[in-house]
Amino acid sequence: MLFNTLSFLFFLVLVFSLYWFVTGKNLKIQNILLLVTSYIFYSCWDWRFLFLLVFSTVLDYYTGLKMCESDTAANRKKWFWLSITVNLGFLGIFKYYNFFAESLASLFSNFGIYFSPFTLSVILPVGISFYTFHGLSYVIDIYNQRIKAEKNFIDYSLFVSFFPLLVAGPIERATHLLPQIKKERFFNYDNAVKGLKQILWGLFKKVVIADNCAHFANIIFEGSDTYPGSTIFLGALFFTFQIYGDFSGYSDIALGVAKLFGIDLLRNFAFPYFSRDIAEFWRRWHISLSSWFKDYLYIPLGGSKGSVWKKVRNTFIIFLVSGFWHGANWTFIIWGFLNALYIMPSIVFNTNRNNIEIVAAGKLLPTLKELISILITFLLTVIAWIFFRAENVNQALLCISKIFSQSVFSKIDIPQIEVALITILLTSFFMIIEWIGRTNQFAIETLFAKKPQFIRWSFYYILIVIIFVFAGSNQQFIYFQF
Amino acid sequence: MKKFIIRLLFFVSPIFIIAYFVDIFISNNLRKSNLYAAKEYSTWNDIVDEKINSDILIYGSSRAWVHVDPTMIGEKLHTQAYNLGMDGQTFLLQNLRHNLILKKNKKPKLIIYSVDIFTLQKAKDLYNYSQFFPYMLWNQEMEEVVTQYDNVSSLDFKIPLVRYYGQFSPISQSVKLFLNPKKNNPIERVRGYQGQDIPWDFTFDKAKKQMETYKIVKDSNTIHQFEKFIKECKQQEIKLIFVYTPEYIEGQKFVENRKEVIDVYYKLSKKYNVPFYDYSSDSLSYDKKYFYNAGHMNKTGSELFTHKLVDVIKKDKLFTDL
Repeated sequence: MLFNTLSFLFFLVLVFSLYWFVTGKNLKIQNILLLVTSYIFYSCWDWRFLFLLVFSTVLDYYTGLKMCESDTAANRKKWFWLSITVNLGFLGIFKYYNFFAESLASLFSNFGIYFSPFTLSVILPVGISFYTFHGLSYVIDIYNQRIKAEKNFIDYSLFVSFFPLLVAGPIERATHLLPQIKKERFFNYDNAVKGLKQILWGLFKKVVIADNCAHFANIIFEGSDTYPGSTIFLGALFFTFQIYGDFSGYSDIALGVAKLFGIDLLRNFAFPYFSRDIAEFWRRWHISLSSWFKDYLYIPLGGSKGSVWKKVRNTFIIFLVSGFWHGANWTFIIWGFLNALYIMPSIVFNTNRNNIEIVAAGKLLPTLKELISILITFLLTVIAWIFFRAENVNQALLCISKIFSQSVFSKIDIPQIEVALITILLTSFFMIIEWIGRTNQFAIETLFAKKPQFIRWSFYYILIVIIFVFAGSNQQFIYFQF
Repeated sequence: MKKFIIRLLFFVSPIFIIAYFVDIFISNNLRKSNLYAAKEYSTWNDIVDEKINSDILIYGSSRAWVHVDPTMIGEKLHTQAYNLGMDGQTFLLQNLRHNLILKKNKKPKLIIYSVDIFTLQKAKDLYNYSQFFPYMLWNQEMEEVVTQYDNVSSLDFKIPLVRYYGQFSPISQSVKLFLNPKKNNPIERVRGYQGQDIPWDFTFDKAKKQMETYKIVKDSNTIHQFEKFIKECKQQEIKLIFVYTPEYIEGQKFVENRKEVIDVYYKLSKKYNVPFYDYSSDSLSYDKKYFYNAGHMNKTGSELFTHKLVDVIKKDKLFTDL
């Protein structure tokens, strides 16, 4: 059940109605309802993997309790490692086993030792990387005595499985979401309206921007061996906007839906393509994952304390792990490596926190220096995204070599040029609105807020018409595969 | 909460009210197109507007559409004929047209069924879905058949505008036709037929490069429905004949189980006493100059073939003695 389908709309209306009108606003019943509907939502993909989700939930709940009950550090450690091993074990089997088996066989073949590795023909359970990281953060926080174990199984299960965030995040923290689950929730008009606006904007990003850009990115990347550098560059740009529209659109819908139930989820995107350097980009892109790696990997490794060499090492580790988290493919690892390289100057020269506030706050336009910084950062991310999108490293290298060749100046050659031009126009409109609303949580949060209702509503109707007319052919959310 | 619900209803109700009228606007203008949706609208319009009224009907896929000239048949047999060939479709949808015709038009005396290797197949997804758009809203008969395909939802039939969601191309066509119905909208199909005056298009050569041979998977439900159709024609005293129109000989070799498929028609022909005229080995099938690809004859080929077909109809008294 995808967020951008009619079936999800019916599902949402039904759950919303039951939640506010049938449960008698009883917190216990509301949580049970959300949990049951979350499991139904998840089962719509593949009911068999529901067992895996429930098992992972029970494991973390139980080990969490056991860690809290443990009298000795050794005992706590035992339960901690049990949870970590099993959680990462599942992730390893479903997501990484084939990659390691095939890579090992390929490595051995270089030394004249040939064997066909035993590979698993299983599909990746949707959302496994996300709910595993939910569970891991919870267990690690208990182990480090930052939080106490949750005793109410329903509440804990809902923390892991709340349907808006279940399949593609944001990756929540127990410290942020669990207190909200345990607290009585009241309907808040302003929050609910904000939620609806965020859903609308998320839908626009997904079905208009991402799905239309995906159409052309797919055509160009599939024919990358025949297209000139200019077209390949355009394809990389299309993918750059596709992945942003797709994932931030998903996150906006998730956050908006949660708001309808009186729950605030962690923000996942903060206008990353207006970043002035790569460090800023990573503070604005997939924030819940970046902060997860910062808190549970970077800081335990020493973080930015210690020698420059240590900082460099830690930065490379988190970017490589982040790349690997996205998928078992060398393309993702190189993507992570490339980002680590990009960020390196600011780590070495300690300038990674130069740009904290949003660019040109309170101004209509950026300065020339800011504009150049934004463009350079954007182009660097475009190049990195080529690895993320390519089927394999060779394809990515071919694309990059074409972009850096004479053919980048040749005429752009793609089918359905009129539709491509409309897509570019819509993407330009999208980026203008994003620029105008960049100081908000999401672009249209306060757009026309001070104007009469007629103007505000007209804008929403225009968005709905654009969504209706220009919705691209239904594409899966990219991050569902992770 | 009350304020939220009221304002939300206030916001969405214009959308629901306008949706119906916008749906009618798009549909009524879109159906004026003579070129969009593989030029199928003119035929659909004649069906729903009860303008078929012909004694002889030609059924089948695009092979029927481009191979059999109903005007020539009508002139030679002093009657009215109509070609209902549907591009890229198999029996299930050809039968939908048949049922709608019987419901809204005069009963034909003779059906010339252009069977081919694909007639008894059923695709997973519906090809050229947009040909149904203008006629779908609350059309139960169409819904029963068309929703058998994976890419069609019954909500497309029940809720106004749902089927036009994200369909920029038909929506823009509709607006263009509203603004100027005659611009770039020539009539190309006459009584459902269009001779193809085009050279060899190399699609067959490309297909051969992609795969050695092709295997047809027959659909048991489609075969069942096809038999039911034959029986109903008998009951309604509609004369039915099967015709396997010429097919380029190299293309015939391309289909791995061609004989097995054609044998089904021979068996049904024998079982229900339906005449079957197989032109697979006709001299036309051996001459590339009459084809623009392996399965489709050009205009010259189709005119020669229609002559031959008329001669057979006359010789075997398939129409005159009705």
